[in-house]
Amino acid sequence: MSDNSPTSGKQLVTMTVNGEQTEVAIEPRRVLLDVLRHDVGLTGSKKVCEMGDCGACTVHLDGAPVYSCLVLGIECAGKKVDTIEGLAKGNQLDPIQQAFIDHDAFQCGFCTSGQIMSLKALFEDSPKPSDEQIVTAVSGNLCRCGAYQNIVKAAQAVRDEAKPETRNDD
Amino acid sequence: MTIKTPEIESSKNDGDIELSLPLQQDLTDWQTGHEFTVVGKPHSRLEGAEKVTGRAQYSADVRLSGQLYGAVLRCPHPHAKLISIDTSEAEALPGVHAVISQNDQFDIDWYSEEAPLFSDQLRFVGDEVAAVAAVSTEVAADALRLIKVNYEPLPFVTDMDQALADDAPAIHDGDNRVEEDSEYERGDCAAGLQQADITVENEYRTQTALHTALEAHGATAHWSGDELIVYESTQGVHAIHGLLCEKLGLPMNKVRVIEQHMGGGFGAKQTLWKPTLFAALLSRKAGRPVQLLLDREGENLATGNRNSTLQQVKLGASNDGKLTAIKMTCRINAGAYATAGEASNVAGIFQHLYHCENVKTSQVRVYTNTGPAVAFRAPGYVEACFALESAMDELAHKLEIDPLELRRINYTGRDQTGDKPWSSPDGLKTCYERLDEEFGWSQRKAPSSEGSIRRGYGLAAHEWMAGMGNPPAAVFIKLNTDGSADVVTGTQDIGTGTRTVLAQVAAEAIGLPMESVRLLLGDTAIGGVAPVSQGSFTVPTLAPAVRGAGENLRRQILEAAALLLETDATTLEIKDGEIVSTEGKHKSLTVADVCDELAPQSLQAHGSRRANPTDTTIRPFGALAAEVAVDTQTGEITVIRIVNAPDCGRILNSKTANSQVIGGVTQGIGFALTEERMVDHNIGLVLNADLEEYKIPTVADIPTITHAEVNLPDLNANNTGAKGLGELPLIPAAPAILNAIFDATGLRFTQLPINRARVLAALQAQQETAE
Amino acid sequence: MKAFSYSPAPTAAEASNEKDSRAEFFAGGTDLLTRMKLNIVSPDALIDLKSADLPNGVSEQNGGLTIGALTTLRDIEQSELIAEKFPVLAQAAALAATPQIRNRATVAGNLLQRPRCWYYRNRHVDCWLKGGSDCPAATGQNQQHAIFDQSPCKAVHTSDLAPALVALNARVKVRGADGERELSIEDFFAPPTEDRRRETTLADDDVVLSIELPSDASHSVYLKAMDRKVWAFALVSVAAIKSAEGWAVVLGGVANNPVRLGPLEKALENTDASDHNALDKQHDKAFADAEPLEHNGYKVTLAKRLIRRAIEQLSD
Repeated sequence: MSDNSPTSGKQLVTMTVNGEQTEVAIEPRRVLLDVLRHDVGLTGSKKVCEMGDCGACTVHLDGAPVYSCLVLGIECAGKKVDTIEGLAKGNQLDPIQQAFIDHDAFQCGFCTSGQIMSLKALFEDSPKPSDEQIVTAVSGNLCRCGAYQNIVKAAQAVRDEAKPETRNDD
Repeated sequence: MTIKTPEIESSKNDGDIELSLPLQQDLTDWQTGHEFTVVGKPHSRLEGAEKVTGRAQYSADVRLSGQLYGAVLRCPHPHAKLISIDTSEAEALPGVHAVISQNDQFDIDWYSEEAPLFSDQLRFVGDEVAAVAAVSTEVAADALRLIKVNYEPLPFVTDMDQALADDAPAIHDGDNRVEEDSEYERGDCAAGLQQADITVENEYRTQTALHTALEAHGATAHWSGDELIVYESTQGVHAIHGLLCEKLGLPMNKVRVIEQHMGGGFGAKQTLWKPTLFAALLSRKAGRPVQLLLDREGENLATGNRNSTLQQVKLGASNDGKLTAIKMTCRINAGAYATAGEASNVAGIFQHLYHCENVKTSQVRVYTNTGPAVAFRAPGYVEACFALESAMDELAHKLEIDPLELRRINYTGRDQTGDKPWSSPDGLKTCYERLDEEFGWSQRKAPSSEGSIRRGYGLAAHEWMAGMGNPPAAVFIKLNTDGSADVVTGTQDIGTGTRTVLAQVAAEAIGLPMESVRLLLGDTAIGGVAPVSQGSFTVPTLAPAVRGAGENLRRQILEAAALLLETDATTLEIKDGEIVSTEGKHKSLTVADVCDELAPQSLQAHGSRRANPTDTTIRPFGALAAEVAVDTQTGEITVIRIVNAPDCGRILNSKTANSQVIGGVTQGIGFALTEERMVDHNIGLVLNADLEEYKIPTVADIPTITHAEVNLPDLNANNTGAKGLGELPLIPAAPAILNAIFDATGLRFTQLPINRARVLAALQAQQETAE
Repeated sequence: MKAFSYSPAPTAAEASNEKDSRAEFFAGGTDLLTRMKLNIVSPDALIDLKSADLPNGVSEQNGGLTIGALTTLRDIEQSELIAEKFPVLAQAAALAATPQIRNRATVAGNLLQRPRCWYYRNRHVDCWLKGGSDCPAATGQNQQHAIFDQSPCKAVHTSDLAPALVALNARVKVRGADGERELSIEDFFAPPTEDRRRETTLADDDVVLSIELPSDASHSVYLKAMDRKVWAFALVSVAAIKSAEGWAVVLGGVANNPVRLGPLEKALENTDASDHNALDKQHDKAFADAEPLEHNGYKVTLAKRLIRRAIEQLSD
């Protein structure tokens, strides 16, 4: 094998995780979820099905929600990855996080990171989503405790309390 | 100042503490109308911020220095003899630190049948054959592929009916019956059926359902010297503690089980499973911490399921609707082994729910070459409620009596198996009233049709055999020198809100604000023995003990305050951390001030759980109504709304109680419509050991779910008036939905789940009959 | 997953040249990675096409539309152009999988996805499609399987886009060993055969470049029946188009490939859509050669009803 031929061994990959340049040495077969949980030390994204069937591992890849169990770490070189750990600013929770607490939008909490990241992407796209958009946004996130009704209520509360966008001429 | 700590009567461990203050002599003061400061309020979960930020640490999130990752090799055959296993190549793989298998000759047995931990008789697809620990999950998976196993496939049977055939392969010795039929009869059932003006008879089938907790089974195990520390995903840290000690032959002071958060259990995590023991054994062999969490396939194949059932039900009634006989015969698919957590009581609801003098039930468990069954949220009752409440609906239809009225006609306030009253004889009656109010059952419209859409309404009632709580529960409260309190318990919070609810009870009992109370749980090294969180047990077990300890502490604080204020303690109260005089004459003093005066001494108190009364049977109840739409062209079922009225006694936290209700109902919708473990009986394989084809409900499958609060304090049950709630909302969901489908379409389904294939087939048959 | 090497391809041509039978092309990964995790396929190398000079996105060309191979389902779902001119495709994309999958899954990968059959996906089953001798679904749990007999395999094609693209007479532009070529979507799909046990005719080193849609289909609809409200593969789906040239009706979830109901399309030209009896007769004819298995007879009924509903919607 020549020097520049690809290898299945570990390679250095640099990505921006929650705003921070992060370098990891990973095998090509390591999925982004495992990179986050084992190499970066961020265990908020959960491993449940490993097949893109549950949504507990949802993170943002270049701003779009994806299942990190179905993304290779190595293809994230140079990309921006945002996880649940990056949402709160210090102890200041994101409004979605606060609404989840207020509306009891979880029981065991294992799907919660994924649910919140899906909704975060929605609110970044459309601050005033319709009920239908809210349901669609979390339609790829299973919750076995059955907190769906409260998840939707939490999202509605965020929407209904969101301040109107400030006008530039103010 | 010094103060003598009062004698603690509760250390006798047999009752709520006896208080010297006349007001609270026997702790029956939490009656309806009692004014609460904290209890009953919709307090948000104490661990909320941890969970929404991803900081909550679950078993799989533990990271210890040098930690290895485990994986399990499973048998691909439904029944096989293991001829030989060669793990040498796996052991030689760089990065692999330990492999365990039959070759290790562990002297450990498993399951009620006492099979060896690694058996050469493999009885279901997924039966464990070996386990490895390696530096990463990837290398562990590579190692599994290098293990060479020589199997001799054996004849198998995965279907429960076939398992009872004369020529069926024997799974253990004998005829594939786990035990003798369990029989019950009161009165004369045959005579009751003869007396009946009308009978209904059907055979009902319920499917094998999977718990599907999102967090898989498993643990992180770590030996520190000769002490084993296990971070486990479990419903019972003390149960795991005891079982680990037993299996490993270790003294109990050398094992510690820790769990701060758990990603769902639903019954499947009420006992010790092999992965945790594997983690401990691998860790000992490798000399490094080992984390072994199952993958979804292992989780779905080998960590329990809700047993499928076949129930033959016959009801007899007189023309006025009174039941003259109830007969039920049931087969239960136990899987390949009986587990410690198996508790499927199918017969119970037939014996208890309705007034009937002539009742006969019989149930038997049957072995098949499938993964072992284990209790799943209201085990037996979910299966049985579907059959009984479908039959009751059919009876109501035939008698042209309103389904709710029929249930009222057959009401009982007594436990007919023990011949004593229910602890809340009006509990179920109140559920009916609340359901009627919130759903508008009596005012409901006639079933309607618009285009191809048919709408209908259905309801179901239930009781639940557990939910009463039981000893032991021991609680210790340490009042810190700043006036805050640490409440130390040995229970665990499985996601139901235990931490929060118990903190509320402690805050209320002591008189502190919630912010001043920390509730500790989930660590066998710090908390007293508490039962597994199962059977809707945790609140009615722990809350009375927490209250007892809190009241004890309050008394001590008041006695100390009385010394400081030079007054009689009986003239003082604690409200929100302040000492207040009932006579309105003292200067302001806080609990913190009292503690400050006592420092460096501090106050502490114990509380424990007394035995339940013997002159009454404690029982929670519930009723649920559903509105459903069926598209008769495409077979699509849409659940439009559900109202559930569960009698769980006093509601200690309306917010977490609501979550239990919507969660249980949501699981019930899955049981009714989409969830079924599929097995190919020709080849014996499970086809959907995943989350793709084992379909649990999504956000879009859920209707508006309303919790019609009953909130009927049951002070015959315990000093808080609270009974269990967790299991209740799931039990009546499926039959209510199915009864609504009948109301809408005239189709009576006797097999779950009801998916499009079954609806369309039934509609076709209905049409052909009509033609 | 077994270990593999990873290389981003600079161009489609180089990707095609580099590809051998031990390598797999990789883009969205939402199907390939699941099969790799199940050890159904274990390539030595992944060639990432996302870095190649493949067309990406939706653009109008010569009155038709070009959809680059790397265009995601999300792009298709959100394209105003597609929503306006090809609603059948926009609806199919929106009903596929979940937002997270749609953000990653590409149109080319969606067409090339392998079956979700639970026998095919079970690594302990050596089924015909994986090179074995027979199809256990034929006599097993075949609730979700084919009602049209196209090959010894009873798996169905689960792509939502496929029936829509077949109905739209899409063409597929491909880069292979001999350079670029274009084929009709009906030539792109083919039921598996003894020697070619997959659902398309592409050669091993063919790289899909783009999907070309010849003409508008603003009067079109995609209906999908699932066992959940969302996030399930179709039990049956139908893509239907009504245009000046007539009807197009294509079914998904009923066979190895999407099934175009040619005779029904023709008959519909001369049938009054409001005449249910006449329609029913045409439906019965269209399904005369259906061969449902033990547990999937309902699919015939379901398909007829969905088609009727689609026709009604387009006839309003």
